[in-house]
Amino acid sequence: MTDLAPPLPGYVRTKLVDPFEIFVGPVFETGAPGSRHFIFRVDERHVNGRGVLHGGMLMTFADLALGAAVWDATDYAPSVTLNMHTQFLKPSRAGDIVEVTPVLTRKTRALVFMRGEFTVAGEPVFTAESVWKLLGKD
Amino acid sequence: MPDGAVNVSLGGFNRFVGPLFRLPETAEDEVRRFAFIVTDKHMNSGGTVHGGMLMAFVDIAMSQTARAVSGAKSCSTVSLNCDFVGPGRLGDMIEARVRVTRRARTMVFMSAELVTGDRPLLVATGLWKLPIES
Repeated sequence: MTDLAPPLPGYVRTKLVDPFEIFVGPVFETGAPGSRHFIFRVDERHVNGRGVLHGGMLMTFADLALGAAVWDATDYAPSVTLNMHTQFLKPSRAGDIVEVTPVLTRKTRALVFMRGEFTVAGEPVFTAESVWKLLGKD
Repeated sequence: MPDGAVNVSLGGFNRFVGPLFRLPETAEDEVRRFAFIVTDKHMNSGGTVHGGMLMAFVDIAMSQTARAVSGAKSCSTVSLNCDFVGPGRLGDMIEARVRVTRRARTMVFMSAELVTGDRPLLVATGLWKLPIES
């Protein structure tokens, strides 16, 4: 069963609106807008036949967390992901808690550049960089 | 799904986000094809397919291709770069077309595109690691 309780004290459930994010979630967060820290607990739905966390779940979590940080940085302007570059550093397994604090690399009038280093128990497991387009801005 | 499509999402995360299919190979092409039909669970709130699902699908298609060309039982994504070039919609059949750029002893370099009909949705390049014994 999916555990809806925060896996660590001090976290609240992130409000998700996209059906695919709700489907793979829950995700939890702590901290103020602009410096939010996101976590999720790997469960049986997220792993492959070898018990290893699927890259598709990590990339979905990255899109969600970095996208939330873009929202925070743009006063909730609508935006879309243009590109995501990822590196898979180390396998994770069910029960692991994956964490990230997205970092704003640069914001221009039309674009936001984000990055995140994802860790499990303090060790880097995955990195993502993404470029976001603010809709209606040239 | 076209005749001859084979379900490749039999367990774990693949089954959770699936069903996903491998399409039959056509004689002359160097491309391996996979497909899925967009359902409600794959969407974002803006009415298009979630980028996470597109990246998951292309990752699965490229991983399956790395295993198929190497005979390896498993493989690991090392890096993946995705450009989101167009939106997918509810009910679309999204097809992955995967090409192997180079297969080395323990590494596979690939490129892929996701299309619906003739319309491109995503282009990707990525690097996969094979186990030493493969």
